[in-house]
Amino acid sequence: MTKTVLCHCEDVEIDELYSAVKQGYGDIETLKRYTGIGTGKCQGKCCLVQTLRILASLDTPAERKTAGGDASELMGDPRKIRLPTIRPPLLPMRIDDILEENGERR
Amino acid sequence: MTKTAEIVVIGGGVSGLSCAYNLAKRGVNDIVVLEKGYIGMGATGRCGAGVRQQWGMEENIILARESVKIFERLSGELGFNTFFRQGGYLLLVFDEREFELVSKTVPIQNRLGVPTRLLDTKEVADLVPGINTDGVLAAAYCPTDGFCYPYAVLWGYAEAARRLGVQIRVCTEVTSVSPVGSGRYEVVTPRDTYHTPIVLNVAGARTKDIAAMLGIEIPTEPFRHEIAVTEPLKPFLDPMVISLKKGFYFLQSVRGEVVGGIGDENEPSSFNTKSSPDFLFRYAAALREIFPALGKARIIRQWAGLYDVSPDARPILGTVDGHPGYYHACGFSGHGFMLSPIVARLLSELITAGSTSIPIGGLELSRFSEGSITKDPYVVG
Repeated sequence: MTKTVLCHCEDVEIDELYSAVKQGYGDIETLKRYTGIGTGKCQGKCCLVQTLRILASLDTPAERKTAGGDASELMGDPRKIRLPTIRPPLLPMRIDDILEENGERR
Repeated sequence: MTKTAEIVVIGGGVSGLSCAYNLAKRGVNDIVVLEKGYIGMGATGRCGAGVRQQWGMEENIILARESVKIFERLSGELGFNTFFRQGGYLLLVFDEREFELVSKTVPIQNRLGVPTRLLDTKEVADLVPGINTDGVLAAAYCPTDGFCYPYAVLWGYAEAARRLGVQIRVCTEVTSVSPVGSGRYEVVTPRDTYHTPIVLNVAGARTKDIAAMLGIEIPTEPFRHEIAVTEPLKPFLDPMVISLKKGFYFLQSVRGEVVGGIGDENEPSSFNTKSSPDFLFRYAAALREIFPALGKARIIRQWAGLYDVSPDARPILGTVDGHPGYYHACGFSGHGFMLSPIVARLLSELITAGSTSIPIGGLELSRFSEGSITKDPYVVG
């Protein structure tokens, strides 16, 4: 069986995404927290858009359930599928650099 | 559409889901949980998920101790890995006053069965390689404290509750709660309206807003607290490291990230959950001071959540005079996650049997109108 890696940082395969959706963890905010997609070193720049493309291709009611029930607003129709909240910093920043930027040198 | 329920739980955080699970386990049918967003969107999903028994007041120590007993078996009970890891809590002591406090408190914790012990700075350095003990006088260490992955606890409770027949409605915001006579309440959402004899209000910092719909005044205030996360690092840190005086906490998650926060005494009360550069600078400075080698580590993400703070930093639990069938749990002041398993057990006892196996009378809302209140000195941040 071939493996397709979707998120390299958190080592998530595409089949794990399908399985998470099937188990009811399919809205993007929950999916991110359940599989780890988008929470690793690259913070989603490699995997998030691919993830959204796959979510948009799913279309049966069973696939639109999320943890704990009906969440059509969260899953949305493909046009409503969105990125999860993007959080700072934009780039991973070394603590030394953060403090230097704030005027504290070692 | 108007529906009926035995109990309507308002809030799909750890309080709501753990209560729904415990109530269903005690035989209540027809429980509905209403969550305005997704499960854990509020404070639970944003919290540090620390679980500690090192408290100052006996009542708090007992509740936390009982919570840890439940956490220790929770993954098995729920059939869901909560990632509960008992690496201990290491409370660093920075001045004489703190030393006096922990010296006085550790024997109380020990008497109540919590195995805290005092460490000197050499023992601290042995326990946590790479820690900077400059300015540290000593530390209090309880090896059975720990932390979880908060979402795993939420999903575990949610799945177990659903197996017992609990309905969980996400994206379903409560817009009104009112009494409709014959001991029933009407709970309105944009989807359905529920008639129920029992309302359990556990909506985090919004609990007071729901209570206000019934004319109940709850003296809690929301405060933003922020968290930052580093990239994953090799495992180096077993205990959660905290300071009462400096208001920080740092832990290393099971996937290697260092996660932590630091309080800000100038933070005004608000519902603001935006991340701030100011926090990032203060946090980075505090983290590098304690772990100098982490200057080379990268911060990858920061976020914020709300503490629902009560006047004595202790939870508000139970009933309210004049409102039969109404129950609430709020005002956890940053400690709701760690207390949720025992609070859920006690509230489910109260609702189904009318009494609790551990007294919670001191945590009723009415305490605030009865004069003096006592604040636990072991509050961080």
